[in-house]
Amino acid sequence: MDREQMALLKEIMEVGFLLVEINLYLDTHPEDEKALRLHNTYSQRYDELTSLYEARYGLLTFTGKSGCPWSYINGPWPWEVNFDI
Amino acid sequence: MNGGYYDRGRQKQLARVYIPFQIMNQVYSPSEALMRGTLFPELFMPYKKRDLEEGRYYG
Amino acid sequence: MWIYEKRLQYPVRVDTTNPTLAAMIIEQFGGADGELSAGIRYLTQRWTMPTNQAKALLTDIGTEELAHWEIIGTLVWKLVKDATIDQIKGTPFEAHFVNHGKSPFPHNAAGDAWSAKFINSKGDPIADLHEDMAAEQKARATYEWLIKISDDPGVTDTLRFLREREIVHFQRFGEALMIVQEELNRKKYY
Repeated sequence: MDREQMALLKEIMEVGFLLVEINLYLDTHPEDEKALRLHNTYSQRYDELTSLYEARYGLLTFTGKSGCPWSYINGPWPWEVNFDI
Repeated sequence: MNGGYYDRGRQKQLARVYIPFQIMNQVYSPSEALMRGTLFPELFMPYKKRDLEEGRYYG
Repeated sequence: MWIYEKRLQYPVRVDTTNPTLAAMIIEQFGGADGELSAGIRYLTQRWTMPTNQAKALLTDIGTEELAHWEIIGTLVWKLVKDATIDQIKGTPFEAHFVNHGKSPFPHNAAGDAWSAKFINSKGDPIADLHEDMAAEQKARATYEWLIKISDDPGVTDTLRFLREREIVHFQRFGEALMIVQEELNRKKYY
């Protein structure tokens, strides 16, 4: 995996993690407006990052659009990614 | 807001637990949050090296 | 239903080849207080939870635990994937190897297979949420024992992440319990 792909993947992991944390918080604090604003801001960012990643490197979820051949099956698979860089 | 027992100023009942609600205040940046394992500084409770060396139990 | 995102939740680094450590880490892959138990437990309990908040939380934490199960499997895989037969022989991983080769399999560090006997779902939301809080503390404690014995810095880093998640989950289950108790009391008196 080259540096650019790794950088984009790491940003997706970071924003994705923020969304998970805000999701759990909102599940028990559904009326917290500050949390909701944070969620919506990063939700937008997450869509942008994943669209960019999928267009360049292949699908992250099966529902996206793909060129030929079907990019969803492309390696590396998650347990094969080397994060040692 | 959830936790109405605070609002009504009732005495605590027996035979049940009470957990304070977290109220979101400051948050870490996304990269900091992922590294630490939480978005919230008030929930960041690392396993200290001191405990590792002296065999002390957490909490 | 479940959608899979083709990435790990956390950037997992493993710095050594260490079948013995893999055999210990597998405790969280198939053990009583491990990630598979947590995921199945919470996803099983959600049917009988009152309040939308509790149904959402059990769904979402249960789902996150499956992502953690994937991380543990990845740790085990990375610790053994380059191991030679000589590196495996004489270690606790040898017993796993003769049954499963290098493939991660849900059993605990002692070799006992994962079982639904490790979890409970009483259909009583107060009992269930207390079980969930206890489960998060047991997982947190297990990660601390694992951090003590790990001599691989990359593995330790991932273990610290997973341990912190248990602390956050404990807080959320506590909040859900407060919400559920309030709801059940309300129904009793009004």
